[in-house]
Formats: sequence, structure tokens, C-alpha cells
Amino acid sequence: MADTFEIEEGADAPEHDTGDDHHVVHESTGIDNRKLGMWVFLSSEFMFFGAFISNYLLYGNRDFDSVVPRDIYDIPFTSISSFVLLMSSLTMVLAHHALSTGDQNGTKTWLMATALLGSVFLGGQVFEFYEFITVKDMTLTSNPAASAFYMLTGFHGAHVAIGILMLLSLFGITRRQGGLSEKHGMNLELVGLYWHFVDIIWIVIFTIVYLLGAA
Amino acid sequence: MTTTASRPASTIFRRPRATEGFWSWITTTDHKKIGIMYGYAAFFFFIIGGLEALLLRLQLAGPNGDFLTAAEYNAMFTTHGVTMVFLFVMPASAAFFNYLLPLMIGARDVAFPRMNALSWWIFIFGGLFLYSVIFFGEVVPPVGIEDAQGVVVSGNIDESDQTLLGGLPDGGWFLYQPNAGPDYSPGAAIDFALIGLQILGVASLISAINFIVTVFNMRAEGMRLLRMPVFVWMTLVVAFLLLFSLPIIAVALFMATFDRAFGTLFFQAVGGGDPVLWQHLFWLFGHPEVYILILPAMGIVSEVLPTNSRKPLFGYAAVVFAGAAIGFLGFGVWAHHMFSSGITPVAQAAFGLATMTIAVPTGIKIFNWMGTMWGGRLKFNTAMLFSIGFVAMFVIGGLSGVTHSIVPSDWQQTDTYYIVGHFHYVLFGGAIFGLFSGIYYWFPKITGRLMNERLGKAHFWVQFIGFNLTFAPMHWLGLQGMVRRTWRYAPEAGLGPWNFAVTIGAFTIALGVAIFWVNWIYSKRKGEPSGLDPWDARTIEWTIPNPTPAYNFATPPVIHSLDDFWHQKYREDEEGRPVRREDADDLVERLDHEGRNPKSKIHLPAPSYFPFIMAMGLPLIGYGIIYHTSIVGKALLVIGPLITIGALIGWGIEPLEEPEDPDLHGDGPGGELVGAGAS
Amino acid sequence: MSETAHAAHPSTRDYVRIAIFLAVLTAIEVALFYVDEAFDMNGWDGPLLIGLSTIKFVAVVGWFMHLRFEDSFLSRFFGAGFVLAMILYGIVLAAFGAFAIFG
Repeated sequence: MADTFEIEEGADAPEHDTGDDHHVVHESTGIDNRKLGMWVFLSSEFMFFGAFISNYLLYGNRDFDSVVPRDIYDIPFTSISSFVLLMSSLTMVLAHHALSTGDQNGTKTWLMATALLGSVFLGGQVFEFYEFITVKDMTLTSNPAASAFYMLTGFHGAHVAIGILMLLSLFGITRRQGGLSEKHGMNLELVGLYWHFVDIIWIVIFTIVYLLGAA
Repeated sequence: MTTTASRPASTIFRRPRATEGFWSWITTTDHKKIGIMYGYAAFFFFIIGGLEALLLRLQLAGPNGDFLTAAEYNAMFTTHGVTMVFLFVMPASAAFFNYLLPLMIGARDVAFPRMNALSWWIFIFGGLFLYSVIFFGEVVPPVGIEDAQGVVVSGNIDESDQTLLGGLPDGGWFLYQPNAGPDYSPGAAIDFALIGLQILGVASLISAINFIVTVFNMRAEGMRLLRMPVFVWMTLVVAFLLLFSLPIIAVALFMATFDRAFGTLFFQAVGGGDPVLWQHLFWLFGHPEVYILILPAMGIVSEVLPTNSRKPLFGYAAVVFAGAAIGFLGFGVWAHHMFSSGITPVAQAAFGLATMTIAVPTGIKIFNWMGTMWGGRLKFNTAMLFSIGFVAMFVIGGLSGVTHSIVPSDWQQTDTYYIVGHFHYVLFGGAIFGLFSGIYYWFPKITGRLMNERLGKAHFWVQFIGFNLTFAPMHWLGLQGMVRRTWRYAPEAGLGPWNFAVTIGAFTIALGVAIFWVNWIYSKRKGEPSGLDPWDARTIEWTIPNPTPAYNFATPPVIHSLDDFWHQKYREDEEGRPVRREDADDLVERLDHEGRNPKSKIHLPAPSYFPFIMAMGLPLIGYGIIYHTSIVGKALLVIGPLITIGALIGWGIEPLEEPEDPDLHGDGPGGELVGAGAS
Repeated sequence: MSETAHAAHPSTRDYVRIAIFLAVLTAIEVALFYVDEAFDMNGWDGPLLIGLSTIKFVAVVGWFMHLRFEDSFLSRFFGAGFVLAMILYGIVLAAFGAFAIFG
């Protein structure tokens, strides 16, 4: 065990002057704490949505002589709302890009556009649910397939709604302060990461649940 | 920070300043205070869970016991399990993580101090929410099944069982569906368990993210990953296990809650759902959870054993990688909890094999701990006794665990007391012994005093004997066919004598815990002052004064090696033996002095009201979901989210830094404390 | 991806191009769906659609989420979550013998 007694030497910087201790927050990896935290959180979200998607894959065909989602998908409608959400990712990244080039007005515009596109998507989802429930007569409790469909898309919709709230608060901050500070610049990046993540989950849902799931 | 400074300081969003008293605890963002609160809360729930266990044992002390009703018995084993797992061992581990992690990596605090406070408050509100079921629960007989004569049979439970304890959740800690579904467990009790666990999960997820970022980003200069103490490594592995397993149980809990509250059909076989899906989702989380409970204790033992053996940890890298391997493999063995649920033979074989492989990294750790003690000059203080007890008891529990990988043998053992004996050997003999070892070892860090060794040793031996008397006989009771979760056994079964012994053992454990409690209270006031380095320790949390100053390190440490503090005190002679340096005592004295007298002003994370307020909203949402059909429930479904979102907005716009106010600077032990920092 | 780390960040024009690319892929996906409806593709629609959505997924993560331009540390995190989810839920579904949706 003598080897563990050895003191590794060489690579360490000499003891530095610690007189100024103002920078209490530092990052050993060079990645901002908040950004790392957001990525860590998003990686766990795969487990969350993965469970809902698996749940739908398992139950999607259990109809028991009642209406199941795959019988009643409105593919053209959902394609358009998927497109809308995809484009909201573009506006989100443009907001971030505008901020990084110091274009505060552009930031505000693109933030608002993202929130709007997100709201259109969400409105489309509410309309879809309404159609399914009232016209097609498929409710949350009709059969396991319907339960699984509403849970999956509903929780995704809840994520979109939270994203819209965050976008609107960022927009509020830009208006109140006439621009985003350095601190809130990171906030915008974090909201962006979250927003794109919600989008990629929808890319998966659209393909697996709608296009491949339809009868 | 220019924008925050230019903003007029509003009185509403002024950050709180109290450093002492009630409000300082409510608003604190100090990882040490949060850790202490976690510790006390965990101990509180330990007492409750222990009392529940004693009630169970009184019922089972003899055949045909009539101390509890069937409903009460069901409620007691369920709440005992839920309490011990989610409200005692997990927060007790969180107490250690919170208090020690920043100290061990040389940081001022965790990466997100306010989020840390948030996860603590969510935890405690979740726990209180879960136990508030005692005011709302009632015994509602299950929807009965008609027997051959057309008589509705609903087991041993009917309205006449209406008692306080009987109204607690009663589905087993795993809440198997559809037994815990709307038909067979009517009433609100199970909802409290499901939503309570959901809230506790949110708390754990937040702290997992926080600890991962802390370990990766907040290390002191020179603290490379492979120089971190094993305890920090185990914290990291546990954080990853939480990160990836909690979303699974969150989904399962949502589905079960929706089944019960809104009539979805996920697990209701009568409507086409599949109860086995619940088992998969639960154990996908549940097995990593087992390692979430045991790995912190393994980390603690890996610190206590080398220090008290006066040797470095044998095979540091092997212990670290074995810990990571346990975490990784822990995700691949969940179905060994389900061998009797009709999964395919291929799955049984695969999961049986995977279960065997997990014994390999565990065995590596056991041998490394023994290698650490081998040839060392052992100091048998209480912390060391508990650590050695941990290793011994964990070996027994681990070996009985490997027997479950033999599928036919597992079928025989499923739902018997053999299983109860096994997991108490790993979770009590393992996790709890490890936690007690940590308490005795790090008590001076918190109080500046040593725990009383005489009481400590009495505690150890009483608890050790009581523990084995309680749980060893359970193995043979189980092999004789005594089933779990059944409130009575017949006199003819011949199970009486050993069950009586088990009950005696349970009360012996209670005596041990009482001795610990006395010791804690006594030592906190009158314990011997510990000085800076009572154990001749190895890791850098012992390079700062006891009790830990609010600012932790007066000057940020620079790390040169694994076991850095040890190398500052010891050098090697020609034969590789450690020799204490001549100036070691001076060093300790100097560290104590410097640690109490920081040269410069130190900025600490400012306290905040908002974590507390934000956490308060979640249980209100929980009540709202349970009582969503009533007007009060609907109101709570509006009020709860408003409180949480409102607090979130306040959190976002409260200033990160108070404008400096010379009158209010704390005058703690040398040095001014100014609120600052970000989260 | 690490070798491309710290490469020049895309411009607005690049982002728009990627978005158009994504839109085209989505259009192809929808078209494939109707082709399969009209002339049964014998199960070939499954792999094709999954392939296309994977490309979309990678494009959004890589460019819009900037993962291509970040420390490879973050990619490993993110990849770990994704791969773990795929493996675990794949095993669960396999245990149910249920990839029914793919025919």
C-alpha cells in the first residue's frame, strides 16, 4: 500500500493569493453551474417521457371494442401543429442568437414569437382533446389506450405550458429592464434548452405515437 | 451584477438576514443548517417508524395475536416501510450529503444553495403531508368478491375496524396495483401515500441535480475526481441513481394517482390495464432505490475504517469503481423482485444472472474494507465498532440476497419472513449501522464535542445484539413458511417461540436507540471538547475548526493528494510506514487558529424566504387532487399552484446581493459575514 | 463530437437552413405515412420514419441546443440519459412481448 502514500506532485498550481474571496462560485469543469444543472435535469427527463411513451406502446392496441387513439388521429392537423412547434425551436434559437449579438429588440421579438408558436401548438392540442372527447367519444377512461394517450400528450402539453410561462417571464424581464443582463442571458439559454428538449420529445411522439401508431 | 445593484432595493424582496433564531432556520441556505435539519427530521421519523415496528412485533409476539386489528396491522407495516425508506434512511443520508459534501471537496456551499433549501422544505412538507393522513384516513372495506355462496367477502376488514391507526395507508410500501387501486383500497389513505411519495421524489430529484453539479463544479483547487473521498464518490453515484430512477417512479405514481382519482385504467385489470406494468415501473425505481439507501453508508464506512485503522483505504480506485459499478448494475436487476409474477423464463434467467453479477463489485468492497483493517493499528471507538458491524452484517445480508438470484429458491422465499430478514440485514445492519457510525464520527464537526464513548459502546452492543436477535430468526421463520404482511399465524404452525424472541430483540433495539438519544443530548451539552482533529483524520473536512464555522474554510484549500490532511501530518519512513511529522501538532494548532480568523471578508449565500413558501404550495396541490370533487379541493388546486408560481417569481426577482449595510454585519467568530452568492 | 467543440457558432442563416431542413424532413415523414396508407410498404415505413425522426432529433440537439459546440462532458450526460431510457424501457416492453405497434 506504499503507493497510496505517494503525494502526487507537479500538476498543481502553486498556492494562490486568496486575499480576494469574492468569486465564491467557480466551476471546476468550466461549464456554468446552471447550464450543467439544466443538462443534468434534461437527461433525467428522458426517463420520464420514456416511461409514458413505453406505456403508450404497451397499451396502444388495447381497444376493448371502444374507440382508441389510433382510429381517430387527424394526421394533417397534427402535422401542422408539429410543424408549428418545430418552428418555435427556430425562433427560440434566433432569440438566443439575437441576445448573443447584443440585439435586445430582436431578442424580445423572437421570444414573443416563440411563446406565440408554443401557444398555437398548445391550443391545437386542446382542440384535439376536445374533438376526441366530444366528437369521437374517446375519454380518459374509455380504455387503457386512451388513458395512455392522454397522459403522454397531456404531460408533454404541461411541459409546453411551463415553457411558455418561462418565456413570458423572460419577456417581462426584458421589457422591465430594457434588456437582458448577463445573469438573465444565461436564463434565456436555459429556457432555450428546455424548450428545444420539449420539441425533440414531440419529434419522437409525433413519429412513434401518431405516424407509426395510426391504423 | 450591475443591473441588480441599480435596482431600488424593495422592502418586500429584501433578503432575510437573521443568522440566529427561528427565522434563520426557516430562511437559511447554509448547507450545514439544512443538513442538521435533515438529520433531526430523519431521527424524528426514525422514532415514529420504530414505534410502528414495535406495534407490529407486539401483534406477532404470539400466535393469533389480537393487539392490532387486521386493518391496523396492514397500515402499520406499510407506514413502517414507507417511513423507514423515504422518511428516515434517505433524509439521514441527505443530512450527511448536505453537511459533508461541500466540506469534503473544499467548497463554500453547494452549487445551488436556494435549491438546496427548497429540496429540504419540499421533503419536510412531503413527509408531513404523508403523515397528515392520520387526520383524513378512514377504514373503508374493499369492494368485496362474492364467494361460492354469493356472500360478499372482503377479507378481515370492515367498518367496525374504524380506528385511528387503521386509517393509514395499507397497501405495502410497494403499493402493488390493483390492490392499492380504487376498488380494493377505497378511501383517501393510499392517495396520501402516492402523492406524498411524489412530493418526496421532487425533493430528491432537486437535491440530486444539486449534488451532481456540486461535485463536478465546486471542487477546490487540486481536488481532482480521483482525489475525492470515497464518501463524495458515493454521494455522486447516489445522485445519479436518484436522477435516473425518480422520473420512473414519478410516472408510475402519476398513473396510479390518475387511476384512483380520475378513473384511468393503467393498472386495473378489470378495465384492460396491466398490473405487472406497475411492478416493472416500481422496481425499475425500487431496486436502484436499494442502492440509494446503502451506498451512503458504504461511503461513511470507507471514511471511518481507514482513519481508525491508521492506514489508507485499501484499493481506493477499486472501491470507487466498484461503487459506480453497483450503481450501474443496480439498474439491471429489478425483475428479481418479480420472479413470482409470471415473467418469461428467459427474463428470469437473465435477471437471475444479473443479480449474481452484482455480488462481484459488492464483494470487491468487502475485501477492500477488510484489507484496510488488516495489519492496521485499530482503534475500537464507537464509530469503528459500528463500521465493523456494518461490514459483518452487510456480508450476511448480501449473501442471503444472492440466494434470491436462484429463481426456484426465490419462488420459495417470496413474501416470506426470509425476505424480511434479508433486507433488514442490508438496510438496518447495513445502512443504519453505517449511518450511526457516521454520526459518532462526525458529531464533533457539528457540535465541537465528542460523543460519550461509554454510552456509545453500550449503544452499539445493545443494538447489535438486539438486531441479530430480531432479524436472524426471521430467516428460519421464513423458511418454515411464515408469510409476510399477514397479521396472524396459527398456534399449530409452531412459529411462536422464535417470534417471541424476535419481539424481545425488537425491544432491545429500541433500548439501544434510547441510549443513543440520551448520549446525543448529554454529549451535545457536556461532551468532551474535540479540538480540531479528534480522530487523527485523513480528509480535509477536519482541517477546519469544530464546530464548523459558518464560512467553512477561512481560505479556500488547495489539494495535493488523496487523503490530503494525512499527508500534511505524516511522512513515510524507508519501509513505507507512516511517521508523524515533527510539526504536525503545530500544524493542527495553526489550522485551528487560521480557521477561526479569516483574513478577508467572506461572502456567503444569502438566506431566502422563497424556498419555504414555494415548497408550501405542493402539499396544498396534493390535498387538492385528493379532494378534487369538493369545492375546497378545487380551491386548493388554484391556491397551491399560485403559491408555488408566486414564490418562483419572487425567487427570480429577489436581489442576489443585499446592498451592503455596515450596521448589520455579523460579528461571528472573527470576520464579517455578508450575504451574497447566487443560486 | 468533441473535435468540433468550440467551432464557429452558426449564423442566423445557418439556423434558418436547419429549420428548413427539419421542415422538409417532417414533410417527408407525413408523405411516407400517406404512401404507406395507399400502397402498403410492408413494414418499411417503420424504420424509415424512425430514421427520419432520429435525424431531426440529432439536428435539434446538435445545433439548436448547441450540443455540438459544447464540452463533450454534456453530450455524455445527455447521451447517458437517452441510452439508459432506451435500454430499460426496451427491456420492459420486451418482457411484455409487446412491440405490437410495429406490427
